[in-house]
Amino acid sequence: MSAAVGPTPGAATSPATAPLVIEASGLAVGYGGVALVPGVDVTVAPRSSLALVGTNGSGKSTLLRTIVGLLPAVRGTLEVLGTRPGGAPGRLAYVGQVHAAGFVLPLRAVDVVRMGRYPDLGLFGRMRSEDHDLVAAAMASMGVAGLARAPLRSLSGGQQQRIYLAQALARRADLIVLDEPTSGLDAGGRELYLQAFAAEMARGAAIVTATHDISEAVEYDQVMLLARRVVALGPGAEVLTADRLLDTFGILLRDPHAEHAQRFVVAEVAHGAPQVIDVGPEAAP
Amino acid sequence: MRLRIGAGLLGLAVVALLAAGCSGDGAPSGGGAAQAPGAPSVVVTYPVLGAVVADLVGDRATVTVLMPNGVDPHDWSPSAKDIERVEKADLVVANGLGLESGLDKALAEAEKRGVAVFRATDHVTLRQPSPGEAPGEAAADPHFWVDPLAMRDVVLALAPALAAVGVDVADRAPALATRLTELDAATRATLSVVPEARRLLVTGHESMGYFADRYGFRLVGTVVPGLTSQGEVAAGQLADLRAAIEAAGVKVIFTEIGTPSSVVEAIGKETGAAVVQLPSHTLPADGTYASFIGQIATAIATALR
Amino acid sequence: MGPLLEPFLANEFMLRALLAGALVSIACAIVGTFVVLRGLAFIGDALAHGVLPGIAGALLVGLPGMVGAAIGAVAMIAGVNLITRRSRLSSDTAIGLLFVAMLALGVVIVSRSSSFAGDLVGILFGQILGTSLEDLAMQAVATAVVFVVALVCARPFLLLSFDPEQADVAGFPSRRYHLVMLILVALTVIVSFQTVGTLLVFGMLLAPAGAGALLAHRIEAMMAWGAAIGIIATYVGLLVSYHFDVAAGATIVLVAAGIFFAVLAGTNVRDHLTAARRGPDAPATGPA
Repeated sequence: MSAAVGPTPGAATSPATAPLVIEASGLAVGYGGVALVPGVDVTVAPRSSLALVGTNGSGKSTLLRTIVGLLPAVRGTLEVLGTRPGGAPGRLAYVGQVHAAGFVLPLRAVDVVRMGRYPDLGLFGRMRSEDHDLVAAAMASMGVAGLARAPLRSLSGGQQQRIYLAQALARRADLIVLDEPTSGLDAGGRELYLQAFAAEMARGAAIVTATHDISEAVEYDQVMLLARRVVALGPGAEVLTADRLLDTFGILLRDPHAEHAQRFVVAEVAHGAPQVIDVGPEAAP
Repeated sequence: MRLRIGAGLLGLAVVALLAAGCSGDGAPSGGGAAQAPGAPSVVVTYPVLGAVVADLVGDRATVTVLMPNGVDPHDWSPSAKDIERVEKADLVVANGLGLESGLDKALAEAEKRGVAVFRATDHVTLRQPSPGEAPGEAAADPHFWVDPLAMRDVVLALAPALAAVGVDVADRAPALATRLTELDAATRATLSVVPEARRLLVTGHESMGYFADRYGFRLVGTVVPGLTSQGEVAAGQLADLRAAIEAAGVKVIFTEIGTPSSVVEAIGKETGAAVVQLPSHTLPADGTYASFIGQIATAIATALR
Repeated sequence: MGPLLEPFLANEFMLRALLAGALVSIACAIVGTFVVLRGLAFIGDALAHGVLPGIAGALLVGLPGMVGAAIGAVAMIAGVNLITRRSRLSSDTAIGLLFVAMLALGVVIVSRSSSFAGDLVGILFGQILGTSLEDLAMQAVATAVVFVVALVCARPFLLLSFDPEQADVAGFPSRRYHLVMLILVALTVIVSFQTVGTLLVFGMLLAPAGAGALLAHRIEAMMAWGAAIGIIATYVGLLVSYHFDVAAGATIVLVAAGIFFAVLAGTNVRDHLTAARRGPDAPATGPA
């Protein structure tokens, strides 16, 4: 996939000497000058991945939005793609959590994916055949090529999510930021997503994801456990142990029948003793 | 979202329906004795003036009146048919001073294109509205038609304008002028039963100024402030009106077209004044100007004697 | 064919009115599309009524109404921006209050000048039948400006309508383009009030674009439908005004609203029929 489209920025040098995609030091993120998550120190290199794991309200989305430049940082330093957050829009792709507009807008699926090309095209640039190819390839890799002409509002939530992910793919970004990318996706969609974004990393992009999906996060180069503070930061397999998760979140749903030895879903309980609950057909509710 | 648009449009549609209805009610515009085909066409904007013009020209021209009788001239918008009549007229006889404000722009366009327009208020000694209006108030009172002698001035000025478009009324105009003078005398006589102390007028809006000046009445106040029925009733001014009514001992409030009835009734109850209809903008059944003035005079005389 | 074409062929003022209405329709379709899609209905309405005090004030001091309208619109836009940014009130509430206040202010100004109140009818309902060549020129320029700006800003406007955050992240600042959009709405309202009046500009902004939203799958198609419906409404409205002797401006908007409700009913019926034909258990198309 990458060969046909020519050199991509950021992939020319080897990962070891390439400039960092994200450099955060003492970074506090929050709203209105009030820090929700104090003191984040993390670096992300090209071709690598970072997963933010935590429940809703843990600061995942806030941190992501600060990285893409939608929120100003409360304290500390943050450099993204070599400049201030939001300073390199053409090299960034972002899929947020809430998509309100799909329902009234007369928009076809392909129109949404095409938007991924806009930063490169600017106001006046015409879509060339390379752009059309990129769009088609992005849609194919998310399995929605056949829905191109369908109105967005007629698609299911899962189909729409695939379209939004395809839009991010069409961007050919150096940094891809995704907030709960697998929400609404069925197993097939999840597979396609994992393959497509692995390919993006191979092309040279860095990926930062906020997710509940532990079995996806466990494969990441770095995992940051968030609970309104950085609980842990390190390789996925080290950070995402049952004990660590229990300590942080207080409750764990363990499915003994899951494919993966450790398939957990993270939930949070405000107070109370840590507990492990077995789920699955033989478990008591 | 769709619901909000739909509701908004429904409301708008209702407003638009009312507005559309305000201009013609579907019936072809009013009176005007249809005269000989091929005769010059004279278009008059409102019925009261139309009656006089029709009287003046007789069968020497076709007189068409744009507004149907009973419509509030201050509130009227022309239809496309009306504009066609204006554009094709040999002479348009309008009131002026903003009475037919809905027609202003189209009339100006027609004039630019050579249609002859006669504005009655250009030929009348204008009166200014009562003091107490907003400062910088420039516009004069358009309601000249309630004064037969002002109407006489208009008739005498209209005759040459008609002649200029080929309608010769040189013989008819003086006769009409005389009848208007007699009408004035008759009106004075009708009103003589009202003693000086009771010559007090409270009306819907300030429409009876010329009449008051001519026949020695005092305008105590109006329900709707100003020279048009479309004004907004103001609390302070209403309070002043009530005080003035009680101070002057006014016993009758004359309501007119476009006067909000609830407000009038409220003032009436509070002051004990009776409410009487005054057809100051509408022709009576027989469609003559003489009856129009007669009806007004009789109504006032009966109410105030 | 006679009665459908005659009034226009025989009367220049009818042609001018038709052209004015068509130009207004095109501008309103373009701008109205975004008003409808972004739920800017309230803002559009607020602008349409906010200009009223501006016009009233200007006419009172002898300035052209359009100058006052422009000032009123700027004040409205600034006020709306201020309120939505500073307060915790929802946009809609704040804007609704602002619009009510401006409308009331307009009525107060007008009521202070009694003899001027008659012109209120003209301001609210417009005088399309009195369209002059100067009016046409001005309307043509305004429509052209709206067209060009919307064309230039097509991509950021689309992004803005889709998701303002995506617009920001893509390097098209949402606040800037939102302001441009508001200015276009204001421009359309200010120029169009001459023809159809401030009260009815709102209808011309919503009804055709609203019907277009129901009929179209793409934004360009929605604008095209909106323009077509607006032009048809103008034509039919003028025709009805001519043959049935009723006010023109109000009739045009009535027709536009009528078309919207007809389309609404029609698409609802169509959706019901399609669902029924497909049957309750039919699978949705495509992978989930």
